[in-house]
Amino acid sequence: MQIPIERYELDNGLKVILSEDHTTPVVALNIWYNVGSRNERPGRTGLAHLFEHMMFQGTSHVPENGHIAHVERAGGNLNASTWLDRTNYYDTVPSDRLELVLWLESDRLGYFVPALTQEKLDNQRDVVKNERRQRVDNQPYGDWDERLQLMLYPPDHPYHHSVIGSMEDLDATSLDDVRDFFQTYYAPNNGVLTLCGDFDPAEARRLIEKWFGPIPRGPAIPPVPGQPVLDPVKIGREIRETRGGIPLPRVYLAWRIPVYGTQEYYVADVVSELLAGGKSARLYRELVRARRVARSVSAFVLPVVTGASALIVRGNAADGDDPAVVEKAMRDEVARLAEGGVDAAEVERAVTGLEARHLFDLQKVNERADQISQLTTYFDDPGLINTELDRYRAVTPDDVRRFAGEYLRDDNLVVLTYLPGAEVAS
Amino acid sequence: MSAPVLDRAQVPPRGALRPFHFPRVHRRRLANGLDILVCETRQFPVVTADLMLDAGGLAEPADRAGVAAMTSALLESGAGTMDAEAIAERVDSLGLSLDSGVSWDTGQTGFTCLRARLEPGFELLADLVRRPAFPASEAERVRDERLSTIQQRRGTPSSVVDEAHSRWIFAPGTAFARPLGGMIRTVRAVDRDEIAAFHAARYRASGATLVAAGDVSVDEVVALAERWFGDWAGEGEPAPAAVVKPRLGETTIVVVDRPGAVQSEIRIGHVGIERTAPDYAAVTVMNAILGGTFSSRLNLNLRERLGYTYGVSSSFASRRQEGTFSMSTAVQTEVTAHSVSEMLRDMREIREAPVSGAELDDARNFLAGVFPLGLQTTDGVAGKLTSIASYGLPDDYYDHYRDQLLAVTAADVQDAAQRRLWPDRAAVVIAGDAEKIRSELEALNLGPVVIADPEEFEAI
Repeated sequence: MQIPIERYELDNGLKVILSEDHTTPVVALNIWYNVGSRNERPGRTGLAHLFEHMMFQGTSHVPENGHIAHVERAGGNLNASTWLDRTNYYDTVPSDRLELVLWLESDRLGYFVPALTQEKLDNQRDVVKNERRQRVDNQPYGDWDERLQLMLYPPDHPYHHSVIGSMEDLDATSLDDVRDFFQTYYAPNNGVLTLCGDFDPAEARRLIEKWFGPIPRGPAIPPVPGQPVLDPVKIGREIRETRGGIPLPRVYLAWRIPVYGTQEYYVADVVSELLAGGKSARLYRELVRARRVARSVSAFVLPVVTGASALIVRGNAADGDDPAVVEKAMRDEVARLAEGGVDAAEVERAVTGLEARHLFDLQKVNERADQISQLTTYFDDPGLINTELDRYRAVTPDDVRRFAGEYLRDDNLVVLTYLPGAEVAS
Repeated sequence: MSAPVLDRAQVPPRGALRPFHFPRVHRRRLANGLDILVCETRQFPVVTADLMLDAGGLAEPADRAGVAAMTSALLESGAGTMDAEAIAERVDSLGLSLDSGVSWDTGQTGFTCLRARLEPGFELLADLVRRPAFPASEAERVRDERLSTIQQRRGTPSSVVDEAHSRWIFAPGTAFARPLGGMIRTVRAVDRDEIAAFHAARYRASGATLVAAGDVSVDEVVALAERWFGDWAGEGEPAPAAVVKPRLGETTIVVVDRPGAVQSEIRIGHVGIERTAPDYAAVTVMNAILGGTFSSRLNLNLRERLGYTYGVSSSFASRRQEGTFSMSTAVQTEVTAHSVSEMLRDMREIREAPVSGAELDDARNFLAGVFPLGLQTTDGVAGKLTSIASYGLPDDYYDHYRDQLLAVTAADVQDAAQRRLWPDRAAVVIAGDAEKIRSELEALNLGPVVIADPEEFEAI
């Protein structure tokens, strides 16, 4: 299975990737801007995400909410998301409406500022504050990632604060902040545009040039603020916090590891699979099925590229259980990776799972487009969509043992415990 | 910015659209009564195979609610010659994405796999479905996990409000008033022998359908089915239909008290429609206009105009029999009462006046346009085959589905709204801080305001 890749660049610096597939008469447009919450200044946390909301509020030529209305009435769907390193916008439409979405996406890159108003900002600020209430403040364990980021990354690191930001900073955000953010980061030379699906490549090139070509290159993108480099990658100590206000006990363990793109990261992803990828994985087998000290477990790595990533393991305990028991059991299992090693069949099984899920996901043109944009934004290498699995296949039991010994250590660990009845720290 | 010759104020014209057809549905039946539905879709070397069984929530006794879901969950805890660990290793070595679960109407077990692993996948599926061991110790584990899940749900505002909503939509003592998957008292009462008995009674060829979609031919599927399920026997009565009865005669506001909550989770709704209702397409278009899209009336009102919420939506969850209609949102505590009155106003307005031509066009085009997006994956296509089997839809139903949507008129929409939306006998259920919201809710004068009795979550 080979995903076709055609890559070029417009004169204004916009990177373009075309990937044809005529199976279904739909086309996915996906555009990534190389800006996320990591680019926010102190006192303006949440700006990158609030800004993403503002991108749906109209342009010189498209009315407020018109972007969404146009795509929905064309028979398509759309959304956007903001994360630590990046912001993406995506539309999937019947293939006869390709030009519609090129018009809409180019218009908000070229003609966003004149349509900005205080009223729109105030409205979307309220929406985003309610998003925070719904996902974080009124949601049991909803602040887990915010709390882990605070502990994993030092105060001057751009991942120290959450994507959603604080209520205080959201309140403080002005129209000038929004305009400045646009003028600093939203330029063709800071973007990657991917089309995936049913289109004619020559026609697509013509239409992309027509709509995106006239938008001028922006100024050079300023460096990420604060201290993005983490040297050493490891934390150097164990950091802990306990929180309350939730129904059942839960424990998160997180270790700082090398960023996405390094070979260690691929090893870490295999480790997360070995620990909790399927029901034959170690944490599930031992803690959930055999010893029953956890009701469920999961493990994952963060695909982030600034300074350090993290391997995160989560265990849910039962009502009345002491979370110290599940914490110790998880730590013991992780320690066993370095001490006892793993066998080749186990690594093989983990890679098989990663491989199969990768292929299942790629069936959707929008998923393919998103992965291509990601690989181009981070590594300038869209072809990795076809070759990245080789990085996983290269992982050996020895790599796993070495990685665990090097990074999954007590002096590189953050422990976040949720305990019913404990005070909610504020 | 350089002055483009481009007229950016004009919406670009449409290009050429190639037609879309739902893949051809092949139907077969084995001698033992097992029905087979297959769609060949060849673009990726992936196949989904699912066995749909007459073993859903309606097949279980009320005082053992949860036994259907526990049976389904326990299939992979030992089967044929394998114990739980051997099954897990087999599943993971094959890279199978194994999926078991229950709805009110059916139980379902199946997998998605790479084409090359289809044969061993079938071998495993046959063991799980036909020869499960149900070890007592695994039954205890699964029971304890389900009890934790229920506790977790009751402590989560967005989940507990759904559980309470069903309680107030359907009459006490009827099946749909209970949560699918059971309550603490009923799950506790289920033991290993009852699970084995449920399996013996409900997992059988008669009444079951095997669906498959992906890089496989109908002949290959039939050969695999013959080999692994050809000698599977079993006859029996179909599961009983539910008694569907609304609880309320007048709109009633119910508060699930969450002291200190910074938001109120709101659900407003009532009994909905069955999947085979003659006005299903009209109801679907009507719902899209009311709350089924981002540009819907509810969302433009509560989110984009008022800024009260991150989002609000409405949906009809249809079953073989009447399911639910529900409008759903989470709003900041201070605007709870106003949000409720605005949602009910949107609900009334779509009954009282015909929708505009533009709204109608937008909704129809949206629904018809996004339909193919869900069919890009093998499990998306398999899901549609399961719907055909479960609801007894014609095999060519999805060939005409988009035409049915596009044929809906404004009069159909208003007719559907008048028949299917009941603003005067709606269950308005809110998980929020009762002390802060109660008096304003009473001042709305919509109907009685009651505080939910926590005991009622356990009612059979």
